[in-house]
Amino acid sequence: MNWISIIENTLKALIGVNAVYFALAAIGLNVQFGYTGLLNFGQAAFMACGAYGLGMTAQYFEINMWWGVLIGLGFSLVLALLLGIPTLRLRADYLAIVTIAAAEIIRLVVRSVRFNWLFNGSDGINEFSGPFRDIGNDLIAPQANQYGPSWTVPGIGWTIDVEFTGRQMWTLLVGWALVAVCGVFVFLVMRSPWGRVLKGIREDENAVASLGKNVFGYKMSSLIIGGMIGTFAGMMLALDRGSVQPDNYSRDVTFFILTALVLGGLASVTGSIVGPMVFWAVFQFADVLLREAIGGEAISIGNFRLMDSTQIGPTNQVMIGMLLILLMVYRPQGLFGNRKEMAIDAR
Amino acid sequence: MFPAALLALVALIVILGSPGASHAQEDDERTVRARINNRLEGKNEPVDGVTVTISVDDEELASGETDDTGTVEFTVQGRRDYTVTVDTDTLPDGVEIADGDESKVITGASFTSSSKTVAFVTGESLVTETPFLDDLAQRLVTGTRFGLLIAISSVGLSLVFGTTRLTNFAHAEMVTFGGVVAFVFNVTGLSFLGWLPFADEGGRFPLIAATVITVVLGGLFGLALNGSIFGPLRRRGYSLITLMVISVGLSIALKNIFLHRFLSRRRPYADYANQTAIELGPISITRRDLIVTVVSLVVLVAVALALQRTRIGKATRAVSDNAALASATGINSEQIIRIVWFAGGALAALGGVFNGLDEQVSFEMGARLLFVMFAGITLGGLGSAFGALIGGFLVGLFVELATFVVPSELKNAPALIVLILVLLIRPQGILGRAERVG
Repeated sequence: MNWISIIENTLKALIGVNAVYFALAAIGLNVQFGYTGLLNFGQAAFMACGAYGLGMTAQYFEINMWWGVLIGLGFSLVLALLLGIPTLRLRADYLAIVTIAAAEIIRLVVRSVRFNWLFNGSDGINEFSGPFRDIGNDLIAPQANQYGPSWTVPGIGWTIDVEFTGRQMWTLLVGWALVAVCGVFVFLVMRSPWGRVLKGIREDENAVASLGKNVFGYKMSSLIIGGMIGTFAGMMLALDRGSVQPDNYSRDVTFFILTALVLGGLASVTGSIVGPMVFWAVFQFADVLLREAIGGEAISIGNFRLMDSTQIGPTNQVMIGMLLILLMVYRPQGLFGNRKEMAIDAR
Repeated sequence: MFPAALLALVALIVILGSPGASHAQEDDERTVRARINNRLEGKNEPVDGVTVTISVDDEELASGETDDTGTVEFTVQGRRDYTVTVDTDTLPDGVEIADGDESKVITGASFTSSSKTVAFVTGESLVTETPFLDDLAQRLVTGTRFGLLIAISSVGLSLVFGTTRLTNFAHAEMVTFGGVVAFVFNVTGLSFLGWLPFADEGGRFPLIAATVITVVLGGLFGLALNGSIFGPLRRRGYSLITLMVISVGLSIALKNIFLHRFLSRRRPYADYANQTAIELGPISITRRDLIVTVVSLVVLVAVALALQRTRIGKATRAVSDNAALASATGINSEQIIRIVWFAGGALAALGGVFNGLDEQVSFEMGARLLFVMFAGITLGGLGSAFGALIGGFLVGLFVELATFVVPSELKNAPALIVLILVLLIRPQGILGRAERVG
């Protein structure tokens, strides 16, 4: 078994692009679910807003990339209003149902043959990261070079390289900077009077309403802000891949982000950032470990064929599902959350 | 609690065997032909030298050029949804595909024999308009079948909500459970069951027997979910949102267990796969679909009668209405909740089998129906037993009728519009009592 490669892959996943976009999406989801108690099961749709905002701007208009960022945020504002207006006056589960449905429909619409002319179907929109990568290329990191530390473990003599290409490095720098900005923003906002009202809504909506606060308005702004931070997640993913593909925004993505957030700890900014990092590190570790263990063969017990290499993905995802269940039951506060804050009640 | 649940999941994996690995040969060869004819100015002559590609799930399988009969042939594996696309750049100058249909989809279910031909026409349109009323009649029949399917599948979802206030996102997987387990009994076979009546020595059952077994197992599956996870946690006072998130985790885990054992292919049952349609005036329906429709209707009426007339049915409605009050009158609400999980699981499994007949069996068949079911029970009134029946039926019918304007790949999208409209106009649904839901 190649332990060096397992360790390298795990370390890379800990700070890699997947952790970046999960962290952004989780910070957004944390505003909605962790602080306000809104069950948004359609975070992937907000991500798609950002990605398609960038992609379609590049595809149809010869204008600056920054307009794409604005258009993406505009999309997600519209989406938040569409989802929020019918549901935010109702019990929490209605929002969950509507968001899960809307996210799936949006994915089906953008990948459909009928709207091929607009969204380019399941091929998505490709090759628009040029301007973004050029900035990085000129500014700091020539794309061809390798960056990252390399350690030699004393005693066993393993050399561990956590190396990224210049292109990846640029994406990571921008991504983590964005994570930091969003994290600080959420941290400050939640300490403000406005944030305290959100927590109050989570704990007891009626009590807050009786103080004369406009509960619907607060919930709506929480949905919008969380959605917009999620929009940045979609943009980072799109910029890294250089493409927008509808299947990157499926229901499972939302659920994995939720798992990562619960792992880190609801209602905690640190949790919403570290959770995704740990999530991806563990996920990648399990993936590489299983792949190394299986090799080209299938694992069988007697005649019963337990697993071959095509079944590694599903196996890991079964474990993600189990992880979410076990966390909610035994450690709902995750790694960094506060158990007292997790007394979320449905209403 | 969890050791039991884990054990049950491992048992599920073992029972499901590995149909994915051992049954590759069921994907028999099929031939897809694409033919291009030029009907410009009343002619009807083949067009050669045009590039045509065939793809499945957006993955290009093959491409070829049409020969002098205007035809190109592809050999494909299994009944799946194929998209055949004409590369319009390779058409002769001045020739265009009529109606802009350069891409056509052949659904897996439409393979009635080992080959299938798609015709493309250039120049004048070949489409002969079906009279509106005939079209409507046909869609009403299909819509009735789909509506009944949704109604059956979503009764459990609504009753579980009614009795425990839990929105169970893993309900979709209870539907998939039905489809997949019936496949295991019908196609894969469990050889240690070979001695049973109806089974052959490989332990394969005819579909009807397999369906009966599946429905019972589906009920037990529901019971197991309640007994190992939702019941104990509810009694320990976990909040509803926590339980909802747990149901999401369960949904991820179960869906991937199905994917793990079943892989991502779609597969038909061994029986009743190829049916010829009966023509009744403008309507054509296969015998299988007719029987499915009738059985669904009978089941639905039986469920409604049971709720209306039997003691257990009345008790169920009482618990749905007000659990505390029902308990005060001496109803054992835990008992009722167990019955609801059993019945809901059994009905969902039956829905899964019917859906498998309709669209073949896959690991995400239930997930695709989930929000149509949500739309149905919201329209009917969350938690109301009859609401699920009526709402599910109406939404299913509406979704099918909406295919007049909605392309079939977006078939389920109108359900979302229903969902949002209901929440805006009448959030308690048709049969729900007007109460504060916010």
